[in-house]
Amino acid sequence: MNDLILAIRQEASRILRESIVKTVIGFDAGTLPLKAQPTFITSQTEVEKLVLNGFCQNNLAVYLTLRPKGEPLGIICRGCESRAIRALIIEQQYSRDKLYLIGVPCTGILDWRKIEALAGENVVAASEEGDQVIISTASGAPAPDASLAGNCEHRFQRSQMLHDSCARCLHPNPIAVDILLGEPVPEGNPVPVPHLPHEFEAKSPIERFAYFARESERCIRCYACREACPMCYCTQCFVDHTTPRWAESTVSPAGVQSWHIMRAFHQTGRCVSCGACERACPMDIKMTYLTEKLNDDMRKLYGFEAGMSEEQPPLATFSLYDRDRFSDKER
Amino acid sequence: MKERFTCQRGSPRIVLFQCQYCLYSDADQKWVDTQLTKHIKLIKTPCTGRISPLFVLNAIQAGADGVVICGCMPEKCHFKEGNLGARRQLDEFVRLLVYLGMEPERVHFSWIDLTERGRIQQELEDFENTIAGLGPAKQLVTRSNASITL
Repeated sequence: MNDLILAIRQEASRILRESIVKTVIGFDAGTLPLKAQPTFITSQTEVEKLVLNGFCQNNLAVYLTLRPKGEPLGIICRGCESRAIRALIIEQQYSRDKLYLIGVPCTGILDWRKIEALAGENVVAASEEGDQVIISTASGAPAPDASLAGNCEHRFQRSQMLHDSCARCLHPNPIAVDILLGEPVPEGNPVPVPHLPHEFEAKSPIERFAYFARESERCIRCYACREACPMCYCTQCFVDHTTPRWAESTVSPAGVQSWHIMRAFHQTGRCVSCGACERACPMDIKMTYLTEKLNDDMRKLYGFEAGMSEEQPPLATFSLYDRDRFSDKER
Repeated sequence: MKERFTCQRGSPRIVLFQCQYCLYSDADQKWVDTQLTKHIKLIKTPCTGRISPLFVLNAIQAGADGVVICGCMPEKCHFKEGNLGARRQLDEFVRLLVYLGMEPERVHFSWIDLTERGRIQQELEDFENTIAGLGPAKQLVTRSNASITL
């Protein structure tokens, strides 16, 4: 048991004992390896359930808009969660003084798909040790990597197993929290990765559209991405409108493309790049190349990053001095 | 947007989103209301601020080869600042469509000023020529019932 988890439990226990909050939202180990699950702690006796590791896939800020308004809430938040919470507070979705944020520096979320692919079969147990991930498989069946074959216990480098969004993460340390547990980790890209929008833009328009069409056509319209996203909280989503029906709600190409385009566009300047949408997707559809592009534009045009300042998101406001595409003919 | 264009397939199909206040001269407005060729579909909105990115996407998905958005100059909006909000949003939306492989020329914006009588005719003619040069849209045209809209 590491010191960080003990500190989290102590702090959760303290704020419950002193009635600062009624509920603490965190993660418990869950029942499946590689997948910790969100948990709601309401009494001191339950704090022993709390864990925090690289298998905590969800963004806990999503519960902010689902809980009863005004309930005093404690949330264990990593970098992306703290940014999402701040962005939600700016959008008036919760009041800051009702929240008690327990900040934890994040070392990145592990991608269970990458781990399962390398393990070659079902994983029965998983744990972390320093910068290594230890995986146990049932039979030690031959893994794609020949050196691992026949071995029931595999060790992987943590940095190799990070989820793509976490490998690109710029702000792993929580901001604007009430208490910061543990040592801050260095800011900036933990793993050098190519800039996603630049990489995508280097392709020809036909290739770009083909990639988009190929990715989106797998969509089964389960809306797991919407449910996992902390910033998707509309009471009626545009795809659920029936009169007029703006987007087809079937899995036709028109329907899925319009869903993916508009979902991403609604996140313009609001997406905190946590990658929860991609981790939630049962069809393993890549989506962050859309939101990353929009975030990149917002950074360049308005110097804005979601959750990093107290300003309104750029598309919620306007200025007379914007780039005037209407008359400049500039692209 | 529910009626069918009677033009033959092959001529560029254009959707014109027009703010109802942007054509200051009655003659121009009357021309747009009555004299538009059949392959240009006019959609009048109360203000450019009403044009949701969804409208633009729907037009393109439904088979429009080009979309023209025209509105009032900044500071001359009937509702004071509706056009400024539209400028930010639609500009960013078109950047996203271009990022996904659409030709940037397919969506054209024009601010019409008080003194620019007859500009709209010229703009539409130029735009038609541009679209004719590009050929029919291929990217993002995915509506199964495309003919309903255009």
